[in-house]
Amino acid sequence: MKKLHIIGLLVIGIAIAVILVSLQNTSTYADFTEAMANPEKEYHVVGKLDKSQPQVYEPKINPDEFRFTMSDNAGLTKSVVLHKSKPQDFDKSEQIVLIGQMQGDEFHANDILMKCPSKYNEAGNPVN
Amino acid sequence: MENITDFGERIWAGQTGHFFIVLSFISALLACIAFVLSKNNTAYLKLARISYNLHGFAVIGIAGTLFFMLFNHFFEYQYVYQHSNTEMNMKYILSCFWEGQEGSFLLWTFWNVVLGWILRWQLRNEEWEAPVMSMVALVQVFLASMLLGVYVFGYKIGSNPFLLLREHEEFNKLPFLQIPNYLEKIDGRGLNPLLMNYWMTIHPPTLFLGFASVMVPFAFSLAALWNKKYTEWQAIALPWTYFGVLVLGVGILMGGAWAYEALSFGGFWAWDPVENSSLVPWMVLVAAAHTMIINKNKGGSLFTTHFLTITAFLLILYSTFLTRSGVLGNASVHAFTDLGMTGQLLLYLLSFVFLSVLLLIRDVLFRTTYVILSLLTLAFAAFYDYQIIALIVWFSASAIITAICYTLYFPKEKEEEQLYSREFWMFLGSLLLILSAMIITYFTSVPVINKLFGTAYAPPKVPVYNTWVVPFAILIMLFLAGAQFLKYKRTESKPLLKRISYTFVLALVFGIVASIPLYFLNDTAANTASEKWNAVSYSILLIVSLYAVLANADYWMVVLRGKLRKSGASIAHIGFALLILGALISTSKKVVLSKNTSTRKVSGLGKDYDDTKSILLTRGDTLPMGPYFVTFSGKRKTGMDVFFDVDYFTKTKTGELNLLFRLSPKVQDNPRMGKAPDPDTKHYLNRDLYTHVTYADLEVDTTRANSDAYASAKNFIGHVGDTIFSSNAIVVIDSLYSNLSEQEYERNDSFLVVTSVLRCVDVMNKVYFARPKFIIQNNIIIPKEDVVNALGLKFVFWKINPENGSIEITMSEKLSNNKDFIVMEAYVFPYINILWLGCLVMAFGTFIAIVERVRLLKRSA
Repeated sequence: MKKLHIIGLLVIGIAIAVILVSLQNTSTYADFTEAMANPEKEYHVVGKLDKSQPQVYEPKINPDEFRFTMSDNAGLTKSVVLHKSKPQDFDKSEQIVLIGQMQGDEFHANDILMKCPSKYNEAGNPVN
Repeated sequence: MENITDFGERIWAGQTGHFFIVLSFISALLACIAFVLSKNNTAYLKLARISYNLHGFAVIGIAGTLFFMLFNHFFEYQYVYQHSNTEMNMKYILSCFWEGQEGSFLLWTFWNVVLGWILRWQLRNEEWEAPVMSMVALVQVFLASMLLGVYVFGYKIGSNPFLLLREHEEFNKLPFLQIPNYLEKIDGRGLNPLLMNYWMTIHPPTLFLGFASVMVPFAFSLAALWNKKYTEWQAIALPWTYFGVLVLGVGILMGGAWAYEALSFGGFWAWDPVENSSLVPWMVLVAAAHTMIINKNKGGSLFTTHFLTITAFLLILYSTFLTRSGVLGNASVHAFTDLGMTGQLLLYLLSFVFLSVLLLIRDVLFRTTYVILSLLTLAFAAFYDYQIIALIVWFSASAIITAICYTLYFPKEKEEEQLYSREFWMFLGSLLLILSAMIITYFTSVPVINKLFGTAYAPPKVPVYNTWVVPFAILIMLFLAGAQFLKYKRTESKPLLKRISYTFVLALVFGIVASIPLYFLNDTAANTASEKWNAVSYSILLIVSLYAVLANADYWMVVLRGKLRKSGASIAHIGFALLILGALISTSKKVVLSKNTSTRKVSGLGKDYDDTKSILLTRGDTLPMGPYFVTFSGKRKTGMDVFFDVDYFTKTKTGELNLLFRLSPKVQDNPRMGKAPDPDTKHYLNRDLYTHVTYADLEVDTTRANSDAYASAKNFIGHVGDTIFSSNAIVVIDSLYSNLSEQEYERNDSFLVVTSVLRCVDVMNKVYFARPKFIIQNNIIIPKEDVVNALGLKFVFWKINPENGSIEITMSEKLSNNKDFIVMEAYVFPYINILWLGCLVMAFGTFIAIVERVRLLKRSA
């Protein structure tokens, strides 16, 4: 058996190992119900800002704590603690992706992705 | 469409542009066919060349027309309206040109035309001209079709940048289009503020020149398969491959520089799909360049080189598919908007996979079988609803056929590779590059995998990439240090080991001395298992990349005796090792300076949930931040930009503050695009101080801050023990007492006083009490307010809800309480200049190598 054959087998082995290992640890898209079932695990939860509930951002007390309420795509509403400053344009967001985990009855997010109304579809009217 | 002339639109401009688009497509098609025919019959060569020149002329015509329209603000055209306006600085007009998909395709097409011209001149009258130029022309047919914007069987092909707003399916609903003289009143929507940066005027053209130059080795490779000559092309394609490595590499790092300067994710590399999908072709191209050198010096590696040059180009197409089809969705921050060309982009990719496999097959019957198989799967996918299965089956079949072709047509090495030979370790190094490219592709393709298999995996985060890439970087650095000292075919092992051991020992000593304080002896030392693993792997990478720098310098100075002409590889390797070193230190030792000292910590969830990374700066107050004292001294507005001036001081021994410098991170308040933060960075030789504002009030009006008036009151419903937060204090409802008991009040409802005791604790933990009263006299409620002057707080106790015992209190704050403030993040990136230096050195080394290869090529000709 040639050296390159051994190396070839090694490469295939590593590739399979990467796929298996990374699939085990990777976060998945989920809703709050699933996140509540596994409170230790990190999830990406997609949903919408619940505008009927108050948002609390008190930078004088902690600039890295922002609380709001989001309802996930299944309609379940949970209060959220974002461990970051309040994103600019937050109120305009159409869709939110939270990255984080459930702790008690709150979802703690370490990051947030927002989809704002597309700048290309906005019905802006520059006349008048 | 009604009477067009009423609107004053300059229809001729769009018609000119459209004419050039159609011309560029037809002439590319004609050139392709004529070049294919001229492979066997040189009579067609003249037609082919004329058609290709015509195509080049047409592409320049398209670009010229688009520029003309942008420059003269022809806002009746969708592309001009969407990507520019009259307010913007005209120096960003280039960015407007390639902000949209159409413009960036055009840029790519343009570079292909230019490279095609150079190639045609280089290969004039050689046997390679016809087959290579056929491939170039074919790529151009596909690219030109991206601008066509015609409908075939109800399916849109391409997107035409010369559509009037009224003709555009998204924009034709705009209400102002009903007004006859709307052109006099409108302005464009303008450029995305993030693109108004000088890097954005040079990064895209460089990157697309890189994309275009990947096409050249690909065209050679396919032409060679077609000619069934697997070796000769490699020497001609080698300088081109180096050129691609140089330009694409620089283009990618320019993108990194732009992200570092203009975006606020805090770093130069975020493993974003858009970044990865240009990095991966670069890595494969680098591997291809190395197997070409192996072939040139020792022979062999024929299949590998073909495979890699073709794969590099296919990965460019895959990258185009990923970033422009909308398949990434939420996974990327800066993918293009979907223009509904997903199918076309996929077809583009599949066509070139098909063509590559087809040309790889030599046997006519075998070829026919593959064509029939492909047509069958296509028909299956078209008529049944199993596109994904058809796609997987077809890809697997193509892969199997490729493997069969490899065993059938390519010569095999007879003898075992020598362990002590340069080619063995170069090949291994290339293999590692490819393996890491595969892993990055796999991670990047998670959204595609979800689409294919219906899974819901989230795209991996930055640490996942780092953890996987570091071990590969370690091995690659090690090979890159040692391989040059080996000779091709066979080397005596003893003098070799002696030779490379000096620099290794040196690097080991330096590396250990450097990495102990960096990764082991500091306050952020590793705690968890994964942090310990990182500390160890970072230290090893530090040592081996130092080793790679030293060993290559040693080789250049001692073995090559400092000769510049031969030193391309050594210098490029030094550059690459410096780049890795700079990336490693600046990323792994990135320090958060903007620590807040908040007493309220919610996080018990570990490092990812750090809630101390931002600092609150109140206007006029001076706070310590890292080694500095900082003051937010004011804000100013220029156009749409709001600048926040932050002064940095140092404290002298006598306790005075000395102003060091001022940074003015800004937030652009663009009514059409939203608020975009733009960092400001202080550059030192050995570190960068990077700051950006994450939250701020963009109103520049400051009169209210000095006012004595109160802001509107806020109502709170609660019980004893509940907490109310004001901007400057925590207010607890301490207790309630009444002048009458409940029974007494029932008997005699004349006069009731309920006093609430509110305990207000300010940020300095000083306690104040407020006692607002709730009074009922003759069934009329007369609340008595109370004010805490020191805190600027006014409380009114105005309601008791007997059903649940809750009380309602309104709180109003003095306007001057809400002094202007910003929330800012500040980081130090240590030694990031090593990274940029590495980039320049690598580019310089590659350039020398190109010059040398071109010289050798001329000499052998």
